Amino acid sequence: MMMVNQKDASPRIPRLGAIENSSLAQRRASKGSKDDLSYYRYEEYDNVPLTPKPINEQSLKVSWVTNIANMSRDNMLCSKCGEGFEAQEKIVNSTGQLWHQQCFVCAQCFREFADGVFYEYDGRKYCEHDFHVLFAPCCQRCGTFIIGRVIKAMNSSWHAECFRCEMCQLELADTGFIKNGGRALCHECNAKVKAIGLGKYVCHKCHSMIDDQPLKFRGEVYHPYHFNCTACGVELDANAREVRNRPGLAKNDTNELYCLRCHDKMGVPICGACRRPIEERVVTALGKHWHVEHFVCAKCEKPFFGHRHYEKKGLAYCETHYHQLFGNLCHHCNQVIAGDVFTALNKAWCVHHFACSVCDQKMNQKTKFYECDLKPVCKKCYERFPKELRNRLRRQHEATPRRAPTPSD
Amino acid sequence: METAPSSVSCLPHQTKMSKAKKVLEEAREIQNPELDLFDKGVATFEEMPGLLNMTNITRLTLSLNRLKSVPPGLANLTNLEIINLANNQIEDLPLSLSSMPKLRILNLSINRLYTLPRGFGAFPVLEILDLTYNNLKEDSLPGNFFMMETLRALYLGDNDFEKLPPEIKNLKNLEILGLRENDLIELPKEIGELSRLRELHVQGNRLTIIPPELGNLDMSSNKAAFRFEGNEWVQPIADQLQLGINHLQDYLRSETYRILYNRYLTNKPPVPPPCVDKAKKVSRIR
Repeated sequence: MMMVNQKDASPRIPRLGAIENSSLAQRRASKGSKDDLSYYRYEEYDNVPLTPKPINEQSLKVSWVTNIANMSRDNMLCSKCGEGFEAQEKIVNSTGQLWHQQCFVCAQCFREFADGVFYEYDGRKYCEHDFHVLFAPCCQRCGTFIIGRVIKAMNSSWHAECFRCEMCQLELADTGFIKNGGRALCHECNAKVKAIGLGKYVCHKCHSMIDDQPLKFRGEVYHPYHFNCTACGVELDANAREVRNRPGLAKNDTNELYCLRCHDKMGVPICGACRRPIEERVVTALGKHWHVEHFVCAKCEKPFFGHRHYEKKGLAYCETHYHQLFGNLCHHCNQVIAGDVFTALNKAWCVHHFACSVCDQKMNQKTKFYECDLKPVCKKCYERFPKELRNRLRRQHEATPRRAPTPSD
Repeated sequence: METAPSSVSCLPHQTKMSKAKKVLEEAREIQNPELDLFDKGVATFEEMPGLLNMTNITRLTLSLNRLKSVPPGLANLTNLEIINLANNQIEDLPLSLSSMPKLRILNLSINRLYTLPRGFGAFPVLEILDLTYNNLKEDSLPGNFFMMETLRALYLGDNDFEKLPPEIKNLKNLEILGLRENDLIELPKEIGELSRLRELHVQGNRLTIIPPELGNLDMSSNKAAFRFEGNEWVQPIADQLQLGINHLQDYLRSETYRILYNRYLTNKPPVPPPCVDKAKKVSRIR
């Protein structure tokens, strides 16, 4: 690695590789973050100029005059050339070392440091310009020198503010990144990419993949366990229900989540077939509510979709199967009775097929008729029956008082 | 044309005849497929000229007349679905009727039939056959009588059956079986195989015992009508009938009854005599 500082004990530049001492790691430690540092595969250091306190000749001089007044200048040597100092010569004191003024220069261009600002590398001092040219890292993104915090990642150096998620442009310097197919991504985007690859959802709250059933809420998907029931507070599972309690308002923003138990108690109709709440059209029949598509014939299981249905012993049937099963076929035509049913003598008839069994003349509800072997006989025809037959029929009916009397009225 | 010898006076006869003709003419005019010729006093088909050419008709009602026979040509009216000849004096039927391709309902009640023509059971789509109040018995049925699988209702009340052939089980679609006031001594156990049967009229016979197989039938549904009165039932059956039809049904299904029934059959008790005097039946008149 490039930046090595051997002599300067300045705490601002950590030793290379010692990432756990970096300001980043310390920030994280102070936050008590338990994040796995193995994620953060970039290195970071602070690339700042040394001696922001410029060398003050006066004070330096004074200090030396006072501090080393009784020291013999003969004992002091220049750190660079090893020569002694003249009596009145200016001495540069930097980081505990002494220099001739003409020796305290850039190792590259041999000029004095502008404003006394210099950079040190491998024991040599460089002016700002030469240091940058020779050693300072260039940001992979903006192409300019990096002064200050340097992020080393993806085999390049970056300004902290230039190192961003390639998908969402979020700054990654403080949050860390994940290398995904040659791209640096934030955790969220990485999880998304991964989930899409696996055909799964990413929780909108914790940004990790949802392995089980997701919970949809206000148009996003979440782990159900991030939420609690609005009513009873229990942690939710994927069976939780999103309730649009104020239909007048915008689609999502007043929705609330309830556990199934509480939801069912809220008066939202529950389908009698699938036991799930009915959000749209409700069919009410047989004392229950139904999804339109779940209200079906008990025999053929086709939905009625608003067509006429027939109820029998708590079940609903389409016209065809009701008649097929419960015998409302016309005794005369043996067809399903389409309109009103004329029921008499243990049989059913189409209204227009109810007729005297002897003369075939139509009869209606008001026509008086007799019965013979549970066949309808009009009064006229009955009176034309052989007299002995009429007598027998009459006796027979008299013998069975619980039956309807011979004249049906 | 020859008029029936039984015609008494000319004048009422003429008016009746004109009535029948009038109906026929009207029907031809308006192409009415349903022909009502009941109670027109007609004694022969000759009194209804052109009738046998009206091939479009689907219903022919000739009840309450004095017809003694039916011409084979009636079968040419191939669109007929319903023929009603109730309350006439018919003694013979042509075989041709049973080949009518659309005939669904045939009413021959209150006539004077002693026999049915051989091959009478060939009707292809007959659903309701009413032979009430005739003089039929098991011997007078043609061999193929119980081949009419399409039959829904068979009325044989007021006839002279002493037994019903076991072939009755072939009438798989039978819903109604009328056997009121015959001379039945026993019922075939095969009736228990008629799974769609919901009406059984056996009043006024000489029955003493019911095959346990009849317990298979659904006697107690609200569409069912099982009528057993006026027989010489053994006491346990009479007691159950007194309690109600569903009691009888449960009883017929019980092991107790099965034992009783088998014991009864081995004992061969005497057959009760005919209890209804049928000598006065109008159908007997020759």
